[in-house]
Amino acid sequence: MVTPVKEDTELVTINIDGKDYQVPKGGNLVDMAKWVAGNDIPVFCYHPKMDPVGMCRMCLIELGGVARDRATGDIQYNDDGTPQIRWFPKLQTACTQTVNDGMYIKTNTEQVKEGRESVIEFLLTSHPLDCPICDKGGECPLQNLTMAHGNGVSRMYFDDKMHLNKHYPLGDLIYLDRERCIQCARCIRFQDEIVGDDVLAFHERGRRLQIITNSDPGFDTYFSGNTTDICPVGALTTGDFRFGARPWELTEVPSISPWDAAGENISLSTRLDRDFGGKAMIKRVMPRQNEYVNEIWISDKTRFGHHFTRSDNRLSKIQIRKGSNFSESTWDSTFKAVAKTLKEANGSVAAIAGGSATNEDLYELAQLVTGLGGDKLGAWSPTHTGADLVAQVGLPEGSNLGELGAGDAILVIASDLEEEVPMWRLRLKTAQDRGAYLVVANGRNTRLEELATEDPNIKGRVVDGAAIRYEAGSAAAVMANLKKSNKDIAKKLADANHLVIVAGAEGLTLEGHRALVQSAANFLIDSGHAGKVNSGLLVPLPGANGMGLHYMGFSPETTQDIAANPPKVLIVLNAEILDDDPTAKTWLSQVDTVITLGYFMDAIARESKFVLPVQTFAERDGSFTNGERRVQRFYTAQGPMGDAIPAWKAVGNIAQAADLGRAKLSAAAVMVAIAKNVAAFEGITYKVLARTERQFPDVGGDDKYYGGNAYQNTGGIGKQIALSGTAKSEKVTVPDALKAGKGEIVLLPTTRLYDRSHMFIPTVMVRSRVSLPFVHLNPKDAKALKLADGDYAEVNYDGGSVRVRAVVSDDVSVGAAVFPRKLTEKATPLVPTVGTITKVTEPAQIEG
Amino acid sequence: MNIIKGFMTTFKHVLEEPVTLQYPEQVKDFEKRYKGRHHLRRYDNGLEKCIGCSLCAAACPADAIWVEAAENSDEERYSPGERYAKTYEINMLRCIFCGYCEDACPTQAIQLGHEHQLSFTDRRDAIYIKDMLIDAPADGQEATPRQVEAGVYTQSIPNMEDPS
Repeated sequence: MVTPVKEDTELVTINIDGKDYQVPKGGNLVDMAKWVAGNDIPVFCYHPKMDPVGMCRMCLIELGGVARDRATGDIQYNDDGTPQIRWFPKLQTACTQTVNDGMYIKTNTEQVKEGRESVIEFLLTSHPLDCPICDKGGECPLQNLTMAHGNGVSRMYFDDKMHLNKHYPLGDLIYLDRERCIQCARCIRFQDEIVGDDVLAFHERGRRLQIITNSDPGFDTYFSGNTTDICPVGALTTGDFRFGARPWELTEVPSISPWDAAGENISLSTRLDRDFGGKAMIKRVMPRQNEYVNEIWISDKTRFGHHFTRSDNRLSKIQIRKGSNFSESTWDSTFKAVAKTLKEANGSVAAIAGGSATNEDLYELAQLVTGLGGDKLGAWSPTHTGADLVAQVGLPEGSNLGELGAGDAILVIASDLEEEVPMWRLRLKTAQDRGAYLVVANGRNTRLEELATEDPNIKGRVVDGAAIRYEAGSAAAVMANLKKSNKDIAKKLADANHLVIVAGAEGLTLEGHRALVQSAANFLIDSGHAGKVNSGLLVPLPGANGMGLHYMGFSPETTQDIAANPPKVLIVLNAEILDDDPTAKTWLSQVDTVITLGYFMDAIARESKFVLPVQTFAERDGSFTNGERRVQRFYTAQGPMGDAIPAWKAVGNIAQAADLGRAKLSAAAVMVAIAKNVAAFEGITYKVLARTERQFPDVGGDDKYYGGNAYQNTGGIGKQIALSGTAKSEKVTVPDALKAGKGEIVLLPTTRLYDRSHMFIPTVMVRSRVSLPFVHLNPKDAKALKLADGDYAEVNYDGGSVRVRAVVSDDVSVGAAVFPRKLTEKATPLVPTVGTITKVTEPAQIEG
Repeated sequence: MNIIKGFMTTFKHVLEEPVTLQYPEQVKDFEKRYKGRHHLRRYDNGLEKCIGCSLCAAACPADAIWVEAAENSDEERYSPGERYAKTYEINMLRCIFCGYCEDACPTQAIQLGHEHQLSFTDRRDAIYIKDMLIDAPADGQEATPRQVEAGVYTQSIPNMEDPS
C-alpha cells in the first residue's frame, strides 16, 4: 500500500474537531486531516503533489497549540486537568501547516464557515456564468465548493464582471478561458515543479493577472494535458474534448496506455455517439491513479493519441490475396484456409509480434507456432534487447520510482527518455528534485540531460546530477568501463542507497545493446544493488508490452534469426515490419506466405496472403506487462470496428481449425492458461489484477478540488512479477562501433514521441507537433558535406533514400548523424547503419 | 311519483346542449399551462436558443432526451453562444410530459407546446429529431446555420434579451 506511514515514521498526535489522531510528523495538515480523519478541508490552490503556496485562502481553519510556560516549557493545564490551548486570533491556512505534536484545529466553527463563504464569494466576483456550456461543469471544484460552502445568492452584477478572451489557444492542444481563471497557479506550478518545462507564467497584476505561455510553439511540453485535470475551474480545457459530452454522461472504463513501457493507468471516458453508429466511443482519456506507475499524471501522447482506434483507415474486413488483388472473406472460411496453409508448411512456421500485442495474444500465438512444430518467435522491433536481464535484475516486487529520493542514484544511458518513455522521465526528474543523484549519459544532448545538470529556465533549481557525453555508438564501452573512466560518478552510483539504471539502445546495434544491458546488470550486481527494493534495471523496450514479449517467449535475437533464415510461413502480429525497416524487403521476399494480423493496411499487410483485422486495446479485454514487469489489465471500452476480433481469438480459432485444441472463449480464460504454463505468471488471474488498495494521496473521490480529476483506481493496480533467475556478473565483449568509410557517415536512428506511424498519425490535433523529417549533424561533419542548417539533404542508406532538412548544431557528436525513425512515409533505418548524405536543392516530391 | 321525478332529469338533459365533442373534427381549447409536444425556440433574430448543454437530458426522469453538442463558428452559426445542439432528439414514447426539461433549460430554448396528437405506426417514428422540434424561422428570416460577421457574437452564453 502506498501510504505516508512507514515502519520508521515518527508519529505525532494532533486534535481535529475535538478528536485525537496519530499522524506522521511533518505531513501536510490538509493531507493528514483527509487521510486519518476523513476531514475534507476545501482547497483550490493546494495540490497534494505540489508545494503549498497558500494563495486561494480557501483552506482557512482555526489553529491552536498546547500552551506551554515560556520559561520552563512545561504544558499548562486548566483547572479540570485538560491542557490549555492557545488559539491563533485569526483563521489560518491549513495547507501551509505541517503537523506537529500538540496541534489543535477546528474545521466546523461559525468563524471557519464564514471564512469559506467569503472566499467563495470573492472568487465569484468576476467568474462568468458559463456552467451550462463549460466542459468542466459537473466535475468542477469551484462549482462543487460553491454548492457546499457558498452563500447561494450573488451580490454581484454580471455587467460589472471582467470580460476577457474566452477561447485563447495555449498551444494546439489546450485552450484557456481567461474569464474563468481563478489564479491558483496550479498549472504554472505543475509545469515548473513536476515537469520541469517552465512554459507557463503569470502576466500583469491584480485583477488583470493572466496565464500566458512563454514558449514557442505555445505550451511546448509533453505533459500539458495534466494541467486541465488539476485546473479547479474550466479555465484550461483540451481541444480534444471540447464540447464532447457533459461529464455526468460519461462511463469510465479503466484501461492502460498502449504506447510505451511505462504502462500509464488511464480511464477511458466513453459515451454513445450518433456519428459513431450509436456505439460507445472514447470521448477523452483521463489519468487513473496508480502511485506505482504514473501517480496521477499521463503524457499527452496517451491522452490525445486515442484517435487511431476509430480511424477510417482501420482494417475492418478480412482481406485475402487473389493474384494481385485482395478480396473479402468471412472468419470461418479464413480460419480453415489459414490453418491449411500453416499445416502445409510442415513446421517451417515462425512469428514476429510487436509491442502492442497483449499477453493473451502473444501466448496464443506462441502456442500456435509451437503446436505447428515451429520454434521461432521474434519480437519486433529488433532494436532493444535485455528483457531477460530485466526479469532477473530489474526492480523487485514492491518497488516504486516515486520513493527514490535523497541518498539514491539514477543512471540513464543511451536513451532519450523524454521521447521514448515520457512518464519515466517525469518520475526520474521528480526523484532528482527529492534529492536523488541523476546521471545522464548519451552521445548527444537530450532534455533529461538538461534537467539532470542545470536547467537555465528554472531559476534557483539546485540539483545533484551529472552528464556524460560519449562518442556516438560507444555506450556499451562507456558502461563497461564506467569505474575506470568516470571514477567519481561510478563511486557515487555504487555507494547510493538505491540505484536504478535505465539502459536504452540509442546509437547501438542489437549486439551493442546486449553488451550495454549486460554491463549495466554487472554494475548493479557488483555494487550489491541487484535484488534490492527500489533498485534495478529498466530498459525502454518499444511498445506497451515489451516485457510481455519476453515472458511469452519472443525475443529480438530470434527476429534476426528469422531474417537470416526465412521460414515458409511467417505470422506477423502488430508489427509494421516493412514500414519500420528498409532492409526487411530483401529477406521477406524469401518467405512464401505472410499472414498479418494488424490494425491497418500497412506495407507488410499489402505483401501478405492473409490480412486479418484485430482489435485495439480500446475494444477488448486484455493485459500488458510494463517495463517494470507490472502486469496490468484493461477493459472493453469502445464499440467494435468492422469485423475485427481480438488477436488471441483469431489465433486460437486458427489453432482449432488446425486441430491443435479448442479455442478459448474469453481473455480471462487465456490468462488462466498463461498462469498455468508460464512460470512468471503463476498465480496471476484477472481477479488478482483487478485488486485495488488505498493510495496516498487520497485523490479521485467526490472531492475533485483536492487532487483534480485523476480518477480513483477501480480497475486494479496490477501485479508486479517477482524477479527470477540468478544473473551473474559476466564478462562483456563490447562489439566494435560502426565505422564509416570515406564519404560515408554513420546514421543513428532515434525515437521521437510524436511520429508518422500508422497508430499516431490519425491524431490530427497533434499533427502540427510532429517534427518534419530531418537529419541532425555536427558542424564539423556538416562542413565536410558542405551543408548548412536548413539545407535540403538526400540521405542514402541500405534499402532506400529520402530527402530531409539538415539541422546543424553542437548537440550531436562528430562522425554520426542523428536520423529519427518514422518521420517520413518511406522506411528509414531502424538500427545504426552506414550511409551517405548529399546536399540537394529540391525537397522530396510528395507522392500523390 | 318517483318515476316522474327521474324522467324529469332525463328530459331536462335532452333539451340541454351536449358536452360530447366530435373529436378529431372538434378540438377543445387548451389551458395555457397544458404540456404537449416540445418546441425548440428561436430568438427574434432567428438564431437558435439551444446551446446544447444537455441539462434537459440530465433532468429528464424518463431518459427521453439525447443531445450532442458542437461548436459554432462565424461561418456556420446556429446559436449566438459558443456551442449549439448538433443532435437533439426526444423519444416521445418515453416522454412523460412532466416539463422538467423546460425547468432545467438555462436559455428557455425548450418549451412544451400544445400539440398532443402523437401517435405512430413505427417505434422509430416516435423519435423526434431536431428538425422536427425546432420552430421554423419567421417569414423572410434566414434559416440556420448562417454566415455572420466576425465579432458580433462573443458571449459564451448569450444575454436573453439581446443575444448579440
